[in-house]
Amino acid sequence: MSELELEITHLIIEALGLEDIGPEDIGRELTLFGDGLGLDSVDALELGLAIQKRFGIKIDADAKDTRKHFANVASLAAFVSARQAA
Amino acid sequence: MIHFNIDQWRAWAPGLDSADDWVRWSRSPWQPPAGDEQPDVGFLPAMQRRRLSRLARMAFHVAWPLAEGQPPLPLVFASRHGETPRTFAILGELARGEPLSPTQFSLSVHNAIIGLWSILRGDTSEMTAIAAEGDGLEHAVLEAAALLAEGAPAVLLVIAEEQPPAAYADWVDDVPFPYAVGLRLTAGRDWQLSCSSGAATESSAAWPHALDFILTLLRDAAQCQHQWKTRVWNWQRNP
Repeated sequence: MSELELEITHLIIEALGLEDIGPEDIGRELTLFGDGLGLDSVDALELGLAIQKRFGIKIDADAKDTRKHFANVASLAAFVSARQAA
Repeated sequence: MIHFNIDQWRAWAPGLDSADDWVRWSRSPWQPPAGDEQPDVGFLPAMQRRRLSRLARMAFHVAWPLAEGQPPLPLVFASRHGETPRTFAILGELARGEPLSPTQFSLSVHNAIIGLWSILRGDTSEMTAIAAEGDGLEHAVLEAAALLAEGAPAVLLVIAEEQPPAAYADWVDDVPFPYAVGLRLTAGRDWQLSCSSGAATESSAAWPHALDFILTLLRDAAQCQHQWKTRVWNWQRNP
């Protein structure tokens, strides 16, 4: 897991108040929403906000590929890197 | 005048949880520490309890055992001040020009806790959230009595208060420590409650009224009077 992926993992735990879950429980390819970790729509909004605040990037909630970026920690890290480089 | 039975009750305040704790407290009441102590809600999976504030945890902690083994039950939730820590956090974000937390926002409304209760228990019975000044307990009992009269097998009543953030200290002086009381009310004639008018006075009770009422219950007192402004509530235990 890259440093950015680890940071995002910690951000997920902290921003969503995941009691009893440690970074080791969230693999980089674990599905975050629905099955897998089991996050819901309020989590999606909260996580989007946390990512925007932490990394100073803008996320368009309506863009059709946003769902794809939020699939797992690896895709989120790739998305954040791409946006920061842009 | 309304009549009802109190089938069972539960209460929580920091350091006060079991029935034995409350019996000891009733013999010589002491002020529980305000602190950060939270009641246990281990009966919920971690993913479900993570969004519960202490106010919600207190409400769930006292009400859950009262609901176990019962049919679906209506719930009346009363809190004078509600989720002040969440509201205060949102106001802080607004003042700093930051985006608002969707979680804080969605759970700050007064009926959020009964919504969570309904979802987590899978109970779609009628549920009501009220904020009724210093005599919220009586107004909640009135609401519960109406539900019993409509045929509910029993009604859960929860009154809970969280300590407001320090910024509210000049305005909120009736929550010396966080607490919650849960009652399961059924139809019957063990208790009667009536309201009359009196000259307006300042409340002189030593404890938040819901806890004063716990003292009435534990000391087997035959009656209890509670005045708020000009409303004089008379609780009477029928022999």
